[in-house]
Amino acid sequence: MLNFFILILIYTCIYAFMSLGQNLITGYSGMLSLCAAGFFAIGSYTTAILTTSFGWSFWATLPIAALLSALMGVLIGLPTLRLKGDYLAIATLGFAEIVRNIINNWDALTNGPMGIQRIPMITIFGIKISPYQKYGFLLMEIIMLLICWFLFERLASSRMGRALEAIREDEIAANSMGINVTKYKVVSFALGAAVTGIAGCLQAEFTLSVSPGSYVFMVSIMVLCTVVLGGMGNFVAVILGAFIIQFISYLPQLIGLSNIIPAQAKQIIFGLILVIMMIYRPQGILGRKERNNKKAEKNWLLNKKEAINEHA
Amino acid sequence: MKKFLAIALIAVVAMTAVFANGSSESASSEIKIGFIGPLTGDYANYGTLCRQAVQMAIDECNAKGGVNGSTVKLIAEDSEGDPNKAYAAMEKLANTDKVCAVVGPVLTGEAFSVGPIACELGVLAVTPSASHKDVTNQGDYIFRTTPSDGLQGEVAGKYWYQILGYRKLAVLYAKNDYSQGLYEGMKEAFEADGGQVVAVETFMVGDKDFKTQLTKLKNTDAEAIYIPDYTAEMAQILEQASQLGVDKPFLSGDGFLSEEIYQLAGEYTDGVVYTASAQLEETSLVKEFRDAYTAKWGIGPDSFATNSYDATNILLSVIAKVGTDRKAIRDGFAAVKDYEGVNGTINFAENGDLVAYQGIYEVEGNTPKYVGAFKIENGKVVKVN
Amino acid sequence: MGSVSLLFQHLMNGLTLGGIYALIALGYTMVYGILKFINFAHGDILMVGAYIGLFAFDALRGSSPLGPWWLVSFFIAMVISMLGCAVLGMVIEKVAYKPLRKGSRLAPLLSAIGVSFILSNGAAWMFGTHSRKFNYPFDNSPIHLGGVVVTPHQILILVVAIVMMVALKLFVDKTKMGKAMRATSLDGDTAKLMGINSDMIISLTFGIGSALAACGGMLIALDYKVYATMGTMVGLKAFVAAVVGGIGNITGAMLGGFLLGLLETFGVAVLGIPQGFKDAIAFAVLILILLLKPEGLLGKVEKEKV
Repeated sequence: MLNFFILILIYTCIYAFMSLGQNLITGYSGMLSLCAAGFFAIGSYTTAILTTSFGWSFWATLPIAALLSALMGVLIGLPTLRLKGDYLAIATLGFAEIVRNIINNWDALTNGPMGIQRIPMITIFGIKISPYQKYGFLLMEIIMLLICWFLFERLASSRMGRALEAIREDEIAANSMGINVTKYKVVSFALGAAVTGIAGCLQAEFTLSVSPGSYVFMVSIMVLCTVVLGGMGNFVAVILGAFIIQFISYLPQLIGLSNIIPAQAKQIIFGLILVIMMIYRPQGILGRKERNNKKAEKNWLLNKKEAINEHA
Repeated sequence: MKKFLAIALIAVVAMTAVFANGSSESASSEIKIGFIGPLTGDYANYGTLCRQAVQMAIDECNAKGGVNGSTVKLIAEDSEGDPNKAYAAMEKLANTDKVCAVVGPVLTGEAFSVGPIACELGVLAVTPSASHKDVTNQGDYIFRTTPSDGLQGEVAGKYWYQILGYRKLAVLYAKNDYSQGLYEGMKEAFEADGGQVVAVETFMVGDKDFKTQLTKLKNTDAEAIYIPDYTAEMAQILEQASQLGVDKPFLSGDGFLSEEIYQLAGEYTDGVVYTASAQLEETSLVKEFRDAYTAKWGIGPDSFATNSYDATNILLSVIAKVGTDRKAIRDGFAAVKDYEGVNGTINFAENGDLVAYQGIYEVEGNTPKYVGAFKIENGKVVKVN
Repeated sequence: MGSVSLLFQHLMNGLTLGGIYALIALGYTMVYGILKFINFAHGDILMVGAYIGLFAFDALRGSSPLGPWWLVSFFIAMVISMLGCAVLGMVIEKVAYKPLRKGSRLAPLLSAIGVSFILSNGAAWMFGTHSRKFNYPFDNSPIHLGGVVVTPHQILILVVAIVMMVALKLFVDKTKMGKAMRATSLDGDTAKLMGINSDMIISLTFGIGSALAACGGMLIALDYKVYATMGTMVGLKAFVAAVVGGIGNITGAMLGGFLLGLLETFGVAVLGIPQGFKDAIAFAVLILILLLKPEGLLGKVEKEKV
């Protein structure tokens, strides 16, 4: 029971990485992207291929995976940024499908539908972090997640975060204020992609195998649900969202109901939760984090006062 | 907001506690067997066929008084076809439910994520259907009651070449592990004999339109088309082939061992030759099983179901002999000799692979006609008497 | 078979595949045009339509032999199924989408995903996970036209798709109701001020879109069989087709559907790309089209207001 709960937490962390990325792209910049599964797959396969075929250490593959995902993010971000709303959703969805097609068909590189097995475990200073000893793995995940979360939180409160929010609220206005919309959008896409790629690396290291069946369209949908359910534009909320989604999807197993209720019931209940949640609490469980503007306002007023005084 | 969240969290935790207490207590005389397979999602049909067979074997056992006086309980977990969910299911079955062995997982991808942890936890996992050649090489605790792709493909390739006399084949397979594994196994054996695979077309799981591929294959000089696919796709392929006027004979694998295909594809199945597990003779066991399964579930069993049924029955017989210790069950399972199941005589190789003869079937008038059991001897395919 | 007739065969295959996408894209585009959100549950409504149609058809034809009565039963079943799905669609709209109309754009999308979960898993629960055969209500023996093989079913799909498109176009362009729809689509609030009952119009649009899905579902079920997840993939493709054609545009949906079908067929058949990359090619071309013409092939450029 406790063991299984830890397992849920491990999956939560993996999803939390993805939802951080999705939150930056959708929650902050307001771009409806549906290609989390694609970046997730790129991360997983980078780690799987480099560790098994080239004998790299996991830690060496991590930046490569993040970089590759980010590169893909730029590659898809640059041209598709002109697209709005649902058109962007379709383009990104198409991209994720292309990635899945490639990993399923490029047998020479990815071993096709057979996937890649026997991925070596992570070692840190000579100590193996076995996924079977869950606590160690979870601890490592949490540390990495905290670092990512901290960086993202800093990013969001920086100039860039404000720029992204401005773009989300009104792109044209932001543009006319001198914000380089394209640059910020591409950067946020790349960063979101990179962190999703990292989730992929962890995924590969946890199950020690990868196969195309794990990177389906549904993953992108679930990540989007995670972000909306938790609360868009709020990093703490989306991590909570990741936990809640994982908790719900494993709840029947956790409480020993999975054998009693029909298999479909879980999915139906999940569907119901989505609908009800959207009707009664569309902003998510925690909702958007409002920027604390009091201080800025005060400063602005002070400055103005000084300026007036100077004139006088 | 905080209040809402707090109430929600408390409610969930309370619920968890209540149910967790309820589920952890169980009769001590109960023997638990786990099952892992896709019960929802795109592969739901195959997982369901397996689970029904496992359930049936266990029900039959309980009706006869259980194993050594204890009732057997099935705990079935849905993997949704996702290797990660399968992993979680194994974790839950082994650590929370403390099952003594598991039937499953159903799909190869799932078997690759479950295999290492099954070996790590020391829980026997018997897959009824993961046919990739490496599945059983993951460790000591993973066995299967389905032939490996290598075995089935080898008999298929040699039979097509040596007995049916084909020299040029075309192949239409799905880009999934099962289909591709069979194709690769067949190709190796067929080309080793001197045959040639002249055209290969693939499709993605979920595709329903095969007219493009069939149009291309129709215009090759292949003498026959090998379609080692799942039932629903094959029904679709056969029907569309007939619409396009493809007049080449079709060859297939054990996905054809399902009554569903005759319901879906009807007369288009005529003339298909396929490999599947051998039934040395139509024993009463086979017929009884088929009738009982159909009566209970309203749909006929296929190879997924028969393999699961055998796996469960062997497991139960082993438990009856050695008790519920996981290690003892594993050793007992490995020591099984000449078990007479619905799939014929079953033995296991050192690594956990099924050792069995392959059967050849020909479809005639919507019913499979059994040609015989075959094995490979010195590179020749020979009929077993 | 000569290479010319082979080309025509591929063309025919591509057109009928495209016809299927087009038929479903019509319903998609109608709903989108008025509500401006991706109705993910459209593919699942299609599946429900196929089940209703299958049960009605099997009940009506009973054990009678293949004959004109089968065809009659098929069309009665289609009417029943379309009505059933229209009601289902309106109920879904009322319960799951209407309360969200004022909120963010993502809320209805997620709600639709939820509805899709409920429908597809509910069907799997109630009807089982196996595929069911939908018998052809007519003799579907292939017809040979020169070297090209065509089945009556393929022709039926093409005909129905085109008829539906024309009928819809006429309905939207020429009738008063259609005018109200266009007004609501353009600006719901202003339309309300003009005395248009926009709630009713939206509900009606949803009903029509769902009825179209049911019709498409029954027609494709003849070939693809009936099962709980039958609408997912084809629904997604149809949506892509609708977007490429210029979402909200009826002719565009048709064009997008045919284009997608032809792309999938010819990318593999003529360009020699491995079949596994079929979807990748189709999507890549679609992305390209969107880049060159972000509003879709026939979509109108919406002026952005500051």
